Amino acid sequence: MIQTRSYEFMVKYTPQREWIEKRGIFMWLAMFSIELGAGAFVVSSIVGNTLGMLIGWLLCALLGGGFHLYYLGKPFRFWRMVFSSGWQSSWISRGLIFVSLFLGLGLIHIALAQWASSPTALMIVADIFAVLTVIYVGFVMASVNGIALWNTPLLPVLYLILGIWGGLGITLVVLNIAGGTGNPSLVEEWSRIFLIAFAFIVLVYLLTIRYQGSAGKASVQTIVAGKIAPFFWAGVVLLGTVVPAGVALATWLGDWSIPTAFLIVLIVFELLGDLALRYSILKAGLYAPLLPSIK
Amino acid sequence: MRYGMVIDLKKCVGCYACVIKCKQEHFLPPGMTWAKLLMSETGVYPKITKQVYPVLCNHCDDPVCVKVCPTRATQQREDGIVWVDEKKCVGCRYCLVACPYQVRSFHNNTKEYFPKQGSTPFEELGKQLYPLENGVVVKCTFCRERIDEGLRKGLKPGVDVDATPACVNICPAKARTFGDLDDPDSEVSQLVREKRAAQLHPEYGTEPCVYYVIA
Repeated sequence: MIQTRSYEFMVKYTPQREWIEKRGIFMWLAMFSIELGAGAFVVSSIVGNTLGMLIGWLLCALLGGGFHLYYLGKPFRFWRMVFSSGWQSSWISRGLIFVSLFLGLGLIHIALAQWASSPTALMIVADIFAVLTVIYVGFVMASVNGIALWNTPLLPVLYLILGIWGGLGITLVVLNIAGGTGNPSLVEEWSRIFLIAFAFIVLVYLLTIRYQGSAGKASVQTIVAGKIAPFFWAGVVLLGTVVPAGVALATWLGDWSIPTAFLIVLIVFELLGDLALRYSILKAGLYAPLLPSIK
Repeated sequence: MRYGMVIDLKKCVGCYACVIKCKQEHFLPPGMTWAKLLMSETGVYPKITKQVYPVLCNHCDDPVCVKVCPTRATQQREDGIVWVDEKKCVGCRYCLVACPYQVRSFHNNTKEYFPKQGSTPFEELGKQLYPLENGVVVKCTFCRERIDEGLRKGLKPGVDVDATPACVNICPAKARTFGDLDDPDSEVSQLVREKRAAQLHPEYGTEPCVYYVIA
């Protein structure tokens, strides 16, 4: 029997810590808020709900932007990420450009939609940058080739589904509480479709990574049976998928509508599932050990 | 011109002199080391093999940290040395996450070596000679100050002590060799060629410039 005893880090699978531990928690919250806000803006602009757009914009600008700035070691230098030539190769720089354009154009669109009439072309351009805002974090992480769990083109797709699904939830809450333009039944229908897409992409993502080398296998093992397993099974699977799917199935079979209070609880569950999945992905990002790499 | 290092693992005795010398050379704060020594044991008693691997920034030929930096704070010189311009770094730590070798550090340390007893003369000197800014990423520089100063004096890095990284000079077993990897006649190039020196994780395509002689 061969055993390896480690006396220092980097001789076994080591998790990335910078973006999830200590102050790194704010990166996790920033990613969630930015994508949720941009997703809510996209959905609300399509259904024509100005309040939903404003809430999405505020989530993205205040919460997302605030958490990001708080995480930075030198927050007052953030402008360098836009005005240097970093955008040529860095996804963080590109992302900040997308977010800035989305926030600028989105605010103009909200103002025009509220007090005058906003041109459709402006809405489309704002929505394009909002969608880019939703997916850029996926590209930021997918370009890290040292972490097998992240280094996959499936990640931007997963984050796109998460962002839009969350946006559908926020819009549904706004429509049910404050009313305004938009058909809640249609949004609910789309939310169910995205629930299925969410469950499918999570399954495909984990299965793909599971067979993508030993580091990927170790990451998936950490998510489904390791320290993060409670977050994954209780948050992603139970709250984020099984409960909403069960209720959706019951309403479909029983032909009854969900009371508003219960619907809000369900959407909170979905958002908790979203948060739990993002946490799992950040926490289970493992680097391959350095030493066995030399043969 | 592409500076690189060869570490002969058969010669390394695991004395930590490189780790300590690097820390002293750059006045690094408590808890931070740019040069690291990894140790592991394989096998079961009585057949045990102890492995000692000194690691540092690989100053990769195709560095991922340079690509991901959103402010272009991480740069690569023409001689291959990868360094961080502390005045440009925003402290997002993307480079730290993206480096597959985990050899970068985030400097956010205001601790003293002896808490509540004030800074030692060593720490005070460090603040003058090698001030590290808080809230930015820092890393091994291949002692570029020594190299630049040595070149100004007409010395040759890897040959003359005053133009060679401190960890190479201090190694009592002479396990480390430094020089120009683009010069086929340099000692490092010969070692890489003749001893079939290997890189860490070559599959990532970063072309590390630190090589290891294993057998």
